[in-house]
Amino acid sequence: MSALLEIENLRVAFNTRHGEVTALDSVSLTVNAGETLGVVGESGCGKSITALSVMGLIPSPPGRIAGGAIRLAGEDLTRVSEARMRALRGAELAMIFQEPMTSLNPVFTVGDQIAEAIMLHQKVGHAQAFRDAVALLDRVGIPSPDRRARDYPHQLSGGMRQRVMIAMAVSCRPRVLIADEPTTALDVTVQAQIFDLLNEIQRDFGAAIILITHDMGAISEMADRVAVMYAGRVIEEADADDVLDHPQHPYTRGLISCIPALGKGDTELREIPGVVPPLHRLGAGCAFAERCAHRNGRCDSGKPLLVNHGHHPAACHAVQEGRI
Amino acid sequence: MSASFLFRRLVYGLVLMLGVVVLNFILIRLAPGDPAVVIAGEMGGGDAALLDAIRAQYGLDKPLLTQLGIYLGSILQGDLGQSFFFNQPVATLIGNRIGPTILLVLSAQVLSILLGVFLGVIAARKPNGVLSGVVSVVATVGYAVPVFWTGIMLIILFASVFPIFPVEGMQSVRLRDAGLWVRSVDIAHHLVLPAFTLALIYLAQYARLSRASMLDVLGSDYIRTARAKGAPEHSILFKHALRNASLPILTVAGLQFGNLISGALLVETVFNWPGMGRLAFESILRRDYPTVLGVLFFASAMVVVANLLTDLSYRLADPRLRGKT
Repeated sequence: MSALLEIENLRVAFNTRHGEVTALDSVSLTVNAGETLGVVGESGCGKSITALSVMGLIPSPPGRIAGGAIRLAGEDLTRVSEARMRALRGAELAMIFQEPMTSLNPVFTVGDQIAEAIMLHQKVGHAQAFRDAVALLDRVGIPSPDRRARDYPHQLSGGMRQRVMIAMAVSCRPRVLIADEPTTALDVTVQAQIFDLLNEIQRDFGAAIILITHDMGAISEMADRVAVMYAGRVIEEADADDVLDHPQHPYTRGLISCIPALGKGDTELREIPGVVPPLHRLGAGCAFAERCAHRNGRCDSGKPLLVNHGHHPAACHAVQEGRI
Repeated sequence: MSASFLFRRLVYGLVLMLGVVVLNFILIRLAPGDPAVVIAGEMGGGDAALLDAIRAQYGLDKPLLTQLGIYLGSILQGDLGQSFFFNQPVATLIGNRIGPTILLVLSAQVLSILLGVFLGVIAARKPNGVLSGVVSVVATVGYAVPVFWTGIMLIILFASVFPIFPVEGMQSVRLRDAGLWVRSVDIAHHLVLPAFTLALIYLAQYARLSRASMLDVLGSDYIRTARAKGAPEHSILFKHALRNASLPILTVAGLQFGNLISGALLVETVFNWPGMGRLAFESILRRDYPTVLGVLFFASAMVVVANLLTDLSYRLADPRLRGKT
């Protein structure tokens, strides 16, 4: 069976004052219907650019898709017209953003904003669309949805707004739902509720979810499979349990060891030393080499490929050579 | 919109008007010149006794505070006094001329906002594009050029080169007795050049302002949300973005209204438009205090009403302001 969404060798480039930099380099990912793919990595690793590429929302200029393909049920989204892309956005592909506080338009009621998404893709009038919007608000767990639909975003809490965003995103029953750090801006208790809601929505609507996060806890809660990204490349990919229990790449190991665990007697928060290198300074070697304890000469001379060296695919010379 | 908000604003407006009346009264007395001399001059000159008689006739011999008290008393009774020069009640003089001024000012306001905002929005779509550059240049030039110069250039252009618009007055003499429809079209035809001249300077400001405001708004998260739900570009620009970008435009529109009225004075003089501007111009030259004060009174009232409307339209445009005082 071919996957619902297939990203193949995607390359995205941006024009910057340092010249053209490659923000995504040979990124390949697949998601099947009803599956949740977690994409993890630090800020600046290319997670959000991947999501915006799928939505066709890369700011252009300065950005452009420089190569590869994004296929939704076989249709290459990098080659379709803007009108076709608009028809897919919101209907087949939907996205939930990180900042519920600023992602809703402050001058329209939340009911109208959901109704607009419905009217853009279905042939219904405003009255019907608004009724559907109220039903969706009810579905995402907003109390007295009738009244809330007439509220403006500033009258709702952060958690409520994210529920509104989810209602809007699933209003046309999209086949792919991208959630870009959907809980980062929310309280921890609200985070768990939002994850539960996303799981329920997936069960009801059968959507494939791409969950973008830097939070390994969210991954263990939600994801079936995980892709770990670093400096614009996928460096490890496998079932969520495999990645969490048997991380291969030193970066993934670092991410997992950074999760503070209660009751383990850890006294210090761990971190991975250093930061993601700026994209215009990437050399010929492994982008993680500078921060890696297993670095050797080969790491500086050639980029490792994402291949299976035993347990599951990882892009690391040290893993390939059996050094770790 | 609460009734108490409206009531409070109305009271503010009235207090403000009272202050304006007092200030105008004092300021005009501080200006050099003496109406008695002007009137005596029109009569062919006179001696000190005649000047005293004129001063006594118009109540100018009383102490300033007494004069102010008398003036305020009559204003509160709705009496703006009698013009020294035209020998008519000021209210009648202004009543005959306020219509053309309001027509000119509102036309210029609407024209400058609609056209300016449209140009600004189009320019914001491609901030580095050719059109954006053209709008910036036109805006700078429009802002820098004095309104009477623009007016005179347009008169030269349309009086001799392209005689398609009338360059003087508000109505054609031969059409004065025609039907309502024909007269309306005739007035609109006469309105084109003065309204455009007056609008140009503000149009430029609205274009710049709405370009900047739109660029700001177009970078926000909710615009990305609108794109993500598949909204077409015109809806992104004119619905999602413009509504948010309109707040600073409204602010400026309210504040500019006073400038627009003073600009109308020049434009009316250049185009011989029969409005309050020319009345103000003539009565200032003649030190016709009651008429000058009456014109200023109405001009201030128009500004106060415009500011009230701005406050109200804020609340319509931005739901976050509703329910606040």
